[in-house]
Amino acid sequence: MSSKLTLGIVGVAAALIIGLAVILVVVAGGGGDKKDTSATTGSGTPAASATKAGADFGGKAASGELRLRGEDPLFLDPAVAQDAGSAVYIVEIFSGLVRLDKDLKIQPDVAESWDASADGKTLTFHLNKKATFQDGRPVTTDDIKYSFERALSPDTGSVTSENFLGDIVGAKEVSRGRSKVISGLKVIDDSTLSITLDAAKPYFLYKLAYPTAFIVDRRQIEANPKRWTQKPNGTGPYKLKEWKLGEKITLEAYDNHHLGAPKLKTVRYDLTGGSSLVAYEDGDIDITGIGLDDLDRIQDPADKLHKEYTQTPRQSIDYLGFNTNVPPFDDPLVRQAFALAVDRKKIAEVVLKGAIPVATGILAPGVPGYSADDKTYPFDPQKAKDLLAQSKYAGKLPEITLAESGAGATVGPTTEAIVQFWKDNLGVDVKIQQAESGTFFQDIDNGRYQMFHLGWIMDYPDPEDVLDILFYSKSKQNNTRYNNPAIDAKLEAARTEADTEKRLTIYQDVEKQLIKDAVWVPMFFDTTHALVKPYVKGFEFPPVIIERFRDVEVTR
Amino acid sequence: MTQLNIELAHAEAGVRAEHSESLTRRSIRRLLRKKIAVACLVVIAVFYTVGAFAPLIAPYGYAEQNLDLSFNGPSLHHPFGTDRNGRDSLSRIILAARTTVVVTLATVATGMVLLPVSLGMLAGYRGGFVDAAINRTGEILSSMPGLPMLLLISATMRPRFVGWVKDFEGKIDVHWWRWLANFTGLCDQSQDATSCHHPLTSSGFADYFLIFAVLSLFGWVGGARLVRTQVLTLRRSEFILAAEASGASTRRILFQHILPNIMPIVIVGASAGLGSIAASEIGLTFLGVGIQPPHPSFGALITDGAPRTVLENHPELLLVPAAIVASLIFAFNLLGDALNDVFTSRAN
Amino acid sequence: MDGLAGYILRRLLFLPLTLLVVSFATFYITRWGPGDPVSVYSGQYRDEEAFARVRHRYGLDKPVIEQYGIYVQRLVLHGDFGVSFRFRDRSIPDVIGPKIWVSARLGVYAFILTFLIGIPAGVFAAVKQGSWLDPFVISVFLFFQSIPVLVMVPVLVLVFAAKLHWLPPGGFDGVFSTSMILPTVALSLPGIAGVARLARATTLGTLNEDFVRTARAKGLDEMTIMTRHIARNSLVPVMTTVIGLSLVGLIEGALFTETLLGIPGIGRFMFESVNGRDYNVILAVVLMGTTAFVFANLLVDLALIVIDPRVRAGRGAR
Repeated sequence: MSSKLTLGIVGVAAALIIGLAVILVVVAGGGGDKKDTSATTGSGTPAASATKAGADFGGKAASGELRLRGEDPLFLDPAVAQDAGSAVYIVEIFSGLVRLDKDLKIQPDVAESWDASADGKTLTFHLNKKATFQDGRPVTTDDIKYSFERALSPDTGSVTSENFLGDIVGAKEVSRGRSKVISGLKVIDDSTLSITLDAAKPYFLYKLAYPTAFIVDRRQIEANPKRWTQKPNGTGPYKLKEWKLGEKITLEAYDNHHLGAPKLKTVRYDLTGGSSLVAYEDGDIDITGIGLDDLDRIQDPADKLHKEYTQTPRQSIDYLGFNTNVPPFDDPLVRQAFALAVDRKKIAEVVLKGAIPVATGILAPGVPGYSADDKTYPFDPQKAKDLLAQSKYAGKLPEITLAESGAGATVGPTTEAIVQFWKDNLGVDVKIQQAESGTFFQDIDNGRYQMFHLGWIMDYPDPEDVLDILFYSKSKQNNTRYNNPAIDAKLEAARTEADTEKRLTIYQDVEKQLIKDAVWVPMFFDTTHALVKPYVKGFEFPPVIIERFRDVEVTR
Repeated sequence: MTQLNIELAHAEAGVRAEHSESLTRRSIRRLLRKKIAVACLVVIAVFYTVGAFAPLIAPYGYAEQNLDLSFNGPSLHHPFGTDRNGRDSLSRIILAARTTVVVTLATVATGMVLLPVSLGMLAGYRGGFVDAAINRTGEILSSMPGLPMLLLISATMRPRFVGWVKDFEGKIDVHWWRWLANFTGLCDQSQDATSCHHPLTSSGFADYFLIFAVLSLFGWVGGARLVRTQVLTLRRSEFILAAEASGASTRRILFQHILPNIMPIVIVGASAGLGSIAASEIGLTFLGVGIQPPHPSFGALITDGAPRTVLENHPELLLVPAAIVASLIFAFNLLGDALNDVFTSRAN
Repeated sequence: MDGLAGYILRRLLFLPLTLLVVSFATFYITRWGPGDPVSVYSGQYRDEEAFARVRHRYGLDKPVIEQYGIYVQRLVLHGDFGVSFRFRDRSIPDVIGPKIWVSARLGVYAFILTFLIGIPAGVFAAVKQGSWLDPFVISVFLFFQSIPVLVMVPVLVLVFAAKLHWLPPGGFDGVFSTSMILPTVALSLPGIAGVARLARATTLGTLNEDFVRTARAKGLDEMTIMTRHIARNSLVPVMTTVIGLSLVGLIEGALFTETLLGIPGIGRFMFESVNGRDYNVILAVVLMGTTAFVFANLLVDLALIVIDPRVRAGRGAR
């Protein structure tokens, strides 16, 4: 062999190896899935009072394993995490004073009971004495105080804490860095605490069921401030047993949970990506969502998967919003014309294959105050043309842009269809502007867009979470810039109205008014389409993200 | 891989300096004798012609929908079928071709011809500090990972950039400019009156400006290097020295003597470049950094046709546009090959 | 070899300067655009004041040059890339490491496959020059190169995964599993044409060289001539030149393939990070990529010099 050839091969091999080595050095620095993600849990030793599974709390020990496909959570800190991907795990690992059951009613969790003062502003919570963290340590009111103050503290970096805990007196002082202590939160003894609100708001309990108000372990966080979320010690029914980034997550039932041992022992998430429907068909996972493209096939009664198909409504709404401050949508006639010119039923049938229902109002099914009658404008192209002609912009419409969040190749076919309807029926050419979410919301906040195609997901089942938050003139989320003093007054009244019936009536009134004024064009409600294996029992698809594994039985 | 292609094309085109006219003429004749080259030229010509006259040829509008005809297969009225919104596939393809035509020509003209040639000539002819500066800059630019940078720049700078272009257009809103835009098809006054006031932004071209500016920015290095090598060799040749001695100005030397002799490299590079730009548009649009909707583009068509169920049940929605674009790219590649042979066969 | 050591040193000295320029440019570009990690990461609740507080907590409201200074200082003195805004409880190498690993493996597989098919094809074409096989072979691979990835992958998935059920339709089962076959094929197909062409060109070159004629004159039989002389001398320039160029493409991460097939690689992750404005991750990936490029180019050039003295002499003209 000539030296040239040897040199050549050696040289090439060296190039390859060293090139790889550079890359590998970085990897070795990371290690990632090779190392165990270690972090201390709580104080180290499990509490001496930990008993055998199920013994004290009745019911048999947890059993069975559920397999799902999922995504990596970004960050398992309940005070900070903002994405649905993390929320799904957080609601199982952590919990708060109260929780929502599958009918979305408030139920006790760490707090066993509570009473309200005469003026409705102060709530006194009595903790369940059996409540413990997952390492066995009992939960005390100090933990609640710590959790709330931490959530609000600017150091934690939460963007939602002020929204969910801000009704407590003194909370805003903490979130703005002026105080470290919430004046309205008083620890009365180890298992009693009182919370005073700035007004008698009946929906506050819903906010306590939201992750921002969940309880975290002070000792764990102080011992390991940077990495505690890798193996969190929560108060929820499931422990994070294992988390390999990009590979899998395993949740294991916490048998000593104060509400009883969960029925389902293990939940295994496969994080590697790839089609979950195929995995379901292959028997690798037990539950899967169904994409629009496959829906047709599965909804066909003849398809073999049809028996396993379920459909449940979700509490969210897809809508077109108008910026009521800028031309031409500062004229209600123009807004109404645009609302009348879109055949939403047709779009739902053809483009969306009937997968989701047309919205009949702003409140979604299941939200208190929902009614099935259709309060929205029907499809009436002639009336639309007439209204447009009567408006003050008739004949001299400015250029109109519809903004939509997205960074994909094409605008959703839905939006394209909508725009085409306006072209066909009103003769108006609407431009579609796609923006990635980073800039999109900012631009909406700055009032740059004339109209936008968005969705809103209910965080808790109360009309306040949509009607007040989005339409109250001074609300920070009011992206339509809608300012109607009459509506404002009604919303303010509804906040503290103690009589539930009366309260809901006020909201329904507001809803009708908003639709009539065409501040929004409610487009569609949402539905979850899923396949569930027959051996999985008790699995629900709650319309908002709450825990759902506790009562599941897998008899595989 | 596109960079690889261009580098190869250049590498194989090692041309010796010769007097200009006979080179070009002989090359063209030689080229036309190859049947494959002619076939490629025909394909390319057809594509570009259809693209140029697209609005006149396409039977339906790009966005013209009819929800009752969703996902119809090929039929008399719609020879290539309809998509989810009932839009005619054939028309969409024809209009997308126009975008490809505009985009490829513009990008190649700047990034693959203007920049490499001018910078390469500068570096090669001037030498010294200019040479070193251009080389160093090129090295730094080519060390950066192009695609991530492209994504980053597009995500962060695009909105602002489009805003600038729009303001700029607002300032030059004069009659003849609007007429020109309408004539070249950048906007369509009959369809949408307001679009011709801002033809660059409303046609989506301003969007793409930024992309191809970035592509050019990262892509000129290879071509420039080869031009530079060629210029260095040329510089020492007799007739250049003679020209210099006779006091010809730098400009004259560059344009009259050097430029014609680097044309072969440039042509081969341009041909490969046109193909690669057509291809990358597809990927970039898919990622959301290429042509923005609702402007026609092959990327949009292919993205629409790619999801598994769509592909399974209506393969024509992906395969037809894919075949057409692939043929174009293939034609460019083959042409590049043929050009190579033509230019190098004398050397052997 | 004074000149060689000096050459290497000069090239390496250039690296810090390059990194500085690159990091500066990237830093500014990320900060320039609209959107920042705080507002992107937040869900539907848009509370500008809360955003401002969080930005302040993470130092994102300082003047850009100050942020840059802090970043460089932290990186150079402590080797700390900062914290990913989305994965706040992990260090950046922890987060990107596994992904680079996946992409690198995929890249290596594709690389090997490209050469495995490309070189023999090119040599074959060169040897058959004059017959129809020569242009045909090259054209076939050119054809594959002309098909956009975005078309190739769904079609491959449809044929091999959905219809024939031979391969899994994406996802990632580990670097040694069948789920790597599809992406490897998709990634390698376009490159084969280039490798084949270069192999063919250099083979043609050497076919005419004097020593081959000498060998023929010596009476060695065709087979020996072909294998020994031609293959050997074609391989080296082909491989070294093309390695450098291919490494470029592969290090970038096969973004499209990864996205379409759901492979957790660095290409796709970079895309997600750009969309999510995860500044520190973006910077880290860009810097690592640049470093890898520079090293790869340097190694290729070195190999070329060491192997082929003719190239060394012509160094200046490069």
